[in-house]
Amino acid sequence: MGKYYITTVIENCSGCLRCQLGCSEANTRKFKPIAAHIHVEMNDGDCAISFTDDCIAYGICADNCFYGALTKTVKEKSS
Amino acid sequence: MNLGGFAGYILHINLTDKTVERTPLDLGLAENYIGGLGITLKLAYDTIQPGVDALGPDNTIVLGAGPLVGTDLPATSRVFAVTKLPSSGTIGWCGAGGFNFGCELKNAGYDHIIISGKAQNPVYLKIIDDDVQICDAHNLWGMGVAETCEAFWKDYERPLGVLSIGRAGENKVAFSMAFIDRISTLGRGGFGAVMGAKNLKAIMVKGKRGIDVADRKRYRALRKPFLENIRQYPYLKEWQSLGMLKSFPIVPVETYERIKKRRLACVSCPVGCKDIIEIPDGPFNGMVVHTSSALNLLTGLTYGFQDYRESIKLIATLDEYGMDMFEFFGLMGFAKTLHEQGIIQSDDIETEIRMDSLASMETWAGKIVAREGLGNVLANGFKGMLETFGEDSKKYAPSLVKGIHPYTGPGSALPWDLFGTMELGQVLDPRGPHVGSGGSPTYFAKRPLEVFPRHFKRMGIPASATERIITSSDDSDGEQTLNIGILLKYSHSWFSLLGSMGICARGQINRFYNAELCAQLYEAVTGIKTDLDELRLRVDRIWTLYRMANLREGFRRDIHEVLPEQWFGDNGFKEYVSGKPLQIDQAQKMIEDYYEEWGWDRKTGTPTGKILEKLGLSYS
Repeated sequence: MGKYYITTVIENCSGCLRCQLGCSEANTRKFKPIAAHIHVEMNDGDCAISFTDDCIAYGICADNCFYGALTKTVKEKSS
Repeated sequence: MNLGGFAGYILHINLTDKTVERTPLDLGLAENYIGGLGITLKLAYDTIQPGVDALGPDNTIVLGAGPLVGTDLPATSRVFAVTKLPSSGTIGWCGAGGFNFGCELKNAGYDHIIISGKAQNPVYLKIIDDDVQICDAHNLWGMGVAETCEAFWKDYERPLGVLSIGRAGENKVAFSMAFIDRISTLGRGGFGAVMGAKNLKAIMVKGKRGIDVADRKRYRALRKPFLENIRQYPYLKEWQSLGMLKSFPIVPVETYERIKKRRLACVSCPVGCKDIIEIPDGPFNGMVVHTSSALNLLTGLTYGFQDYRESIKLIATLDEYGMDMFEFFGLMGFAKTLHEQGIIQSDDIETEIRMDSLASMETWAGKIVAREGLGNVLANGFKGMLETFGEDSKKYAPSLVKGIHPYTGPGSALPWDLFGTMELGQVLDPRGPHVGSGGSPTYFAKRPLEVFPRHFKRMGIPASATERIITSSDDSDGEQTLNIGILLKYSHSWFSLLGSMGICARGQINRFYNAELCAQLYEAVTGIKTDLDELRLRVDRIWTLYRMANLREGFRRDIHEVLPEQWFGDNGFKEYVSGKPLQIDQAQKMIEDYYEEWGWDRKTGTPTGKILEKLGLSYS
């Protein structure tokens, strides 16, 4: 399980794919949007953001987002 | 070639022979021409035969994306096309960003595509990694730009890059454009017509190879503070919220907020200047438009439209045709004047030309794109109009540079009147007037000269040149003057550097880059040893070769770099610092200073033997 909760605000997404670029590079050492664990789909202004089952909430997608569409918060450790 | 950043291959397409070939990208090209715009210009120089007809089968289109395209460095989306352009008759570049195209081209394994020949019937290029096919475009022919893009997006999973033309390009309208991912324009000069003349409707591309960087550790070390710097920029949220309207508030913010559906960004851009607009009321209530900027959709207001919703409707129509709006409005104004002067007969004016009327302008756009009646003459641009209506018509023509109507200046769309690098650049980029290569601190609002040196350093301008750009006037009390000619040389250098790496040149984003950082990023991404001096040398080689490509075509100062007379006089441009009316001899001196700063002959603009030797260039 990942260290973060990733929160999405799809209204803020610009479709820049910085999240997919960053995620794919972290996972594969290559910038390869289709290999990302996050996917952004923009159709006629309607945006959908989804995560694959492989997502470990590493948080780089949120680090790379400048639009407030993705943010990360640290998960509290269970006692 | 095994370098980071580069995809590694050039794709060669011959539409006549229906052949497809892949060749490795030569390391020497990268070492000498950086990549992107630089290598695209070099490949164009090597493949375009001098004197070729821009719309003939022998013209060549070269496309390219730089080594940073496909990475997550900010705003590294740029794709360049170089060909012989029909409006200007010059070898010119066109550049665009887009959601996917550049990134996917690199992911498919290609840095460049060279397209030659002419297909017998309409075709599109399908590029999915190694699978490259010339496909029948029968079903796409006649579609608009966005319609074509949507057709591909419907059939293939995204991300998918699409470069397409509309009906204007298909019918070889002299001012037709191509669009990337329906949102970014390869505009001004008639690039769409070059594709249309080849029966090439579109290029679609997707890939899964991925882009490496050579030195991952250094890349990350450079990227972290760079991104943080952007994040801390105090106006970032305002830029993200208002886009181009922050610079040019053509409508009140409240109006923009009512029509704004979503702000969009090209791939990797942290600022975003693209828009989805929805008309909220009136006869076009609910109409949704994707645009390279809301500012463009509202340009009709500067030509007399009273209702912004009608302007949106018209520009959306022009975009779907793939037609340059600046040239469209300039031509329609010219035709209206010729009619009023009795040079165009009333029989030819089936619909009254009213610059403030949506119905009139849409009708004429339709006539142009279908080449109906007078529309067939208008479709050939100013060149066609002047040829048709002869000597009497010339005195009524608006200002023209290389046969194209400038976008800024007296009688042009954009109203600012100070003569800075963008304004002079309309004459000195061989491509002709466009928004793009002449950026500097003189762009948009007037700024005090004391802030200029900071930007000069950022643009990589040597300190010795800065001393010659800002000088004290001889005939005043030490008042400072700004040498626009010398500064433009460095604007073009900065643009060449950004374009060759793959970075967007818009002021909102290039302000975060500096030349020293560019050298470091280039080295980290590609692994090619690079310092700022070496980058400067390569940039000089790129822009000088661009000059040579055009001199080889017969390009001459007294034909192609003529200052429009409308730019001077009481209603003309103003000198940037003093605000006094610009004199033509001042502007001529700027041109000569510009040539000399490049190491070209001061009078003719021909590169001297000395500079050619230094750059390792020779004519072929």
